[in-house]
Amino acid sequence: MSHRWGMVVDLDRCTGCEACVVACHAENNIPTVGPAEAARGRAMHWLRVERYWEGEFPDVRLKFRPVLCQQCNAAPCEPVCPTYASHHTEEGLNAQVYNRCIGTRYCANACSYNVRFFNFFNPVWEKPLHLQLNPDVSLREVGVMEKCTFCVQRIKAKTQQVKAENRELKDGELKPACAQSCPATAILFGDLNDPESQVSRLSRSSRGEKLLEELGTLPNITYLKGQAEA
Amino acid sequence: MDRRNFIKLTAVTGGAVTLASCGNPEHELIRFVPDEDLTPGLAELKPGVCPLCSAGCGTTVRVMQADVDTVRNGQAGVVTMSVAKKLEGNATHPVNQGALCARGQAAIQIAYHPDRITQPLKRRGAKGSGDFQPIEWDAAIAELVAQLDKLTASNAQASLACWTRPGASARHDLTTMFLSRFGAAAPTTFELFGDDVLRRANLMSFGREQLPTFDLAASRYAISFGADFLGTWNSPVAQAAAYGRMRQGRRGVRGAFVQAEPRMSLTGASADEWVAIRPGTEGVLALGLAHVILREKLRPADAGGRAGALVDGWSKGLPDYTPQAIEQKTGVKAARVERLARELAEQRPSVALIAGAPLAHAHGLFQALAVNALNALLGSVGTPGGVSFMPQVDAAAASRPARPLRAVAADILAADKSPVQVLLLDRLNAVHATPPGWRVREAVLKVPFVVSFGSFLDDTSVLADLILPDHAFLESWTDARPESGATIALTTVAGPAMKPLYQTRATPDVLLDIAKKLKQPIKPELAWPSFDQMLQASIGEDAWSTATKQGWVEIKGKGQPADSKGQRSEGKGQGDIAREAVFDGDAAQYPFYFLPYASQAFVDGSVAHLPWLQEMPDPMSTAMWSSWVEINPQTAGRLGIGDGDVVEIASAHGTVRAPALISPGIAPDVLAMPAGQGHETFTRYASGRGSNPVKVLGPSVEQVTGALAWAATRVKVTRVGEPDGTLIRFGGSLTEAEHTHR
Repeated sequence: MSHRWGMVVDLDRCTGCEACVVACHAENNIPTVGPAEAARGRAMHWLRVERYWEGEFPDVRLKFRPVLCQQCNAAPCEPVCPTYASHHTEEGLNAQVYNRCIGTRYCANACSYNVRFFNFFNPVWEKPLHLQLNPDVSLREVGVMEKCTFCVQRIKAKTQQVKAENRELKDGELKPACAQSCPATAILFGDLNDPESQVSRLSRSSRGEKLLEELGTLPNITYLKGQAEA
Repeated sequence: MDRRNFIKLTAVTGGAVTLASCGNPEHELIRFVPDEDLTPGLAELKPGVCPLCSAGCGTTVRVMQADVDTVRNGQAGVVTMSVAKKLEGNATHPVNQGALCARGQAAIQIAYHPDRITQPLKRRGAKGSGDFQPIEWDAAIAELVAQLDKLTASNAQASLACWTRPGASARHDLTTMFLSRFGAAAPTTFELFGDDVLRRANLMSFGREQLPTFDLAASRYAISFGADFLGTWNSPVAQAAAYGRMRQGRRGVRGAFVQAEPRMSLTGASADEWVAIRPGTEGVLALGLAHVILREKLRPADAGGRAGALVDGWSKGLPDYTPQAIEQKTGVKAARVERLARELAEQRPSVALIAGAPLAHAHGLFQALAVNALNALLGSVGTPGGVSFMPQVDAAAASRPARPLRAVAADILAADKSPVQVLLLDRLNAVHATPPGWRVREAVLKVPFVVSFGSFLDDTSVLADLILPDHAFLESWTDARPESGATIALTTVAGPAMKPLYQTRATPDVLLDIAKKLKQPIKPELAWPSFDQMLQASIGEDAWSTATKQGWVEIKGKGQPADSKGQRSEGKGQGDIAREAVFDGDAAQYPFYFLPYASQAFVDGSVAHLPWLQEMPDPMSTAMWSSWVEINPQTAGRLGIGDGDVVEIASAHGTVRAPALISPGIAPDVLAMPAGQGHETFTRYASGRGSNPVKVLGPSVEQVTGALAWAATRVKVTRVGEPDGTLIRFGGSLTEAEHTHR
């Protein structure tokens, strides 16, 4: 059976703690750019926690929303790429082929979610910080666009392992780094082609919504609203 | 000759040939023989212990091969070895259950930090100059031994002191044993956002001098008084896991959550109802809720038990705490107090939490005792959905109890000859974490011989005479005994995940070594040849293989801390403790309450040197690499302060400058600042970055425990300049700003 990877983010569980943000950096060799470049808007966070203030003191509320590539089924980033670096995989991922990318940045321009990040310079890991790099994930060089991959290296490793062991993938067995680190289990990952998987069931929840649904991008990520606002 | 030795020999001779035939041997790449236990491309998962806080979470260390620049026998070269690649939560660990917080994941950067101290150092310049020179390990240890022998010769063993961070572990036990048997006091522990007040209150109310564990997963209603339990306080990963289940883990039941605090914390942002309360009146609100519950007979009057009896007027139904009185004192409307009280009593199991700023006052103990009494009244102590205490094993007893940091510093400064002659610093940056009035820097400078075991130069270790750098936690045996977050007594333990990168030595092993080298060996002797053998002995042979395999083990058979420990405080009512907040500074001159808070990235600043955490956007503000002062929009408007403008915060004790951050989540009469930045010395990533709110705090302490009252200072604020560009926000810069291309 082919897979279609999807995610559910339960906003009623999310505490905004940012464990996912650092997990993503650690897993995917995302560089830190330093204060000067960060001040120029060049910090790279494939996954960020957005916060929305509502109301005025003392009746004030703040809501968190982890935002990462929504892995759209009708992705605005894909058709604009002149080199097919940004393309759709058979398993529903918006993939980015780094060595095809020529840095037009059209995809980042087209993305409705602001989740694509451009390498304005070659990343630097001051030695021996390079020892933390994950050998399963390629490093990106200057002039290349990068983004969340749903930890495709983990998907590949696990599906190959399952195949070698001649068995089916168990629901919940495969987790991207963000979901694995989440203390409150707010992030769930799985196969949307399996109607019984936890992500399939929860994405049909009455609390479910897609981010900027009205744009028609058909994301593979479903957000579950807090019950108070459902 | 086996294969391994053959290869070694050829490598060595090959290297020698290259050296001989080449004009610039130092430019040659020497490749040392790699270890044989390597499998290229295959990751190995080893257990680990998160070293950052006393939660004691278990980690899984992903270990793979890498080429490491190294020095072997004085020769620089490259060796292929197993190194840690990533830290993940240990899925079997009862506390963190497979998850790991942002800080824990960044801890790997401690091992690979470019500014780690790689070998022993000895002071060359003046004290505090930061001018050090390398020294051999044997010579360095001989120097410390000579200093200690000198103390013994003059019968001044008690003038050895050690400052460290709190947290139960075999490592801490070993340090305590070393000091006690040498004849010195137990290590002085300090933490800016420490929990001494709550521990003392729990001892008085429940007979347990310990931090509580909350069964939120089964709670239907939780009210928290200033406790940042989802972000930085106590065991945040365990608490967030329980919180997730409280919200969405039960069919048809979603637990409600109320947070009372004057500045919205990360935890407060998740609350259904956020109650802006006047600083320092949290205990009053708790007793107001209890008043309504008692008046309306929503709970049995005697449910308060021992915890209730500690509160004056409890048996009479707390007549001084009517909703009208509460409204006047706390700013929370009387009708709201009535409603919250009913919800608490009716939506049981319900639970109350208190921590952080409410306890950092002269009357902190009163505030904690009030919330303890409320929990007892709600029937939430030791019951599902309530608060309980994790079984513990007794720590090694110290013959001479530790003295508080403030008192030690004061003694050093008061005497002509410092009562501390040799000071051991173990990972505690006391200069950064204490208010100017404690004069800790001066005190450290007055100690004749200061030794630091830390891996980095920070504001305190830069004052040392000798630096004996510890291994990174990933390179050594580590352990922790969690105080909270699980239902069984356990110890988290792990062996080295990788070989040391540098000429460092594990501090516990250094202590064991010194104990043997003293002229007059300490008695009873510390007989273990190395720290891992001590660990093994403390855990027991049966449990050892389980412990080392899974990274933690349940500890049984040693009982719980004796309830009798509570006797010394029992029966002491509230009659003689402070019940109202006292703020340092005149209200007319200093119109604002000043609230430093534990930052989500750095907590108190001990991890401010890690670049992942510097660049992690703060969840509430999206600020990175920054310090800031949070100001209510109305206040800012009134004072003509714009977002990002540089402001100066002044108290009677000091000033700091930082950019203003206009925030709707803070009371108009409160100014808040995240702790963690403002290091003078702390590696290339944190030195000279931002400002330290602790440097404006008054020296006030909690009246009974002597803990630093860090939320009890008043300040004024002045705009001093235009935005200086140091407030860097991720959220404000999602679309690229206009700028000229480089």
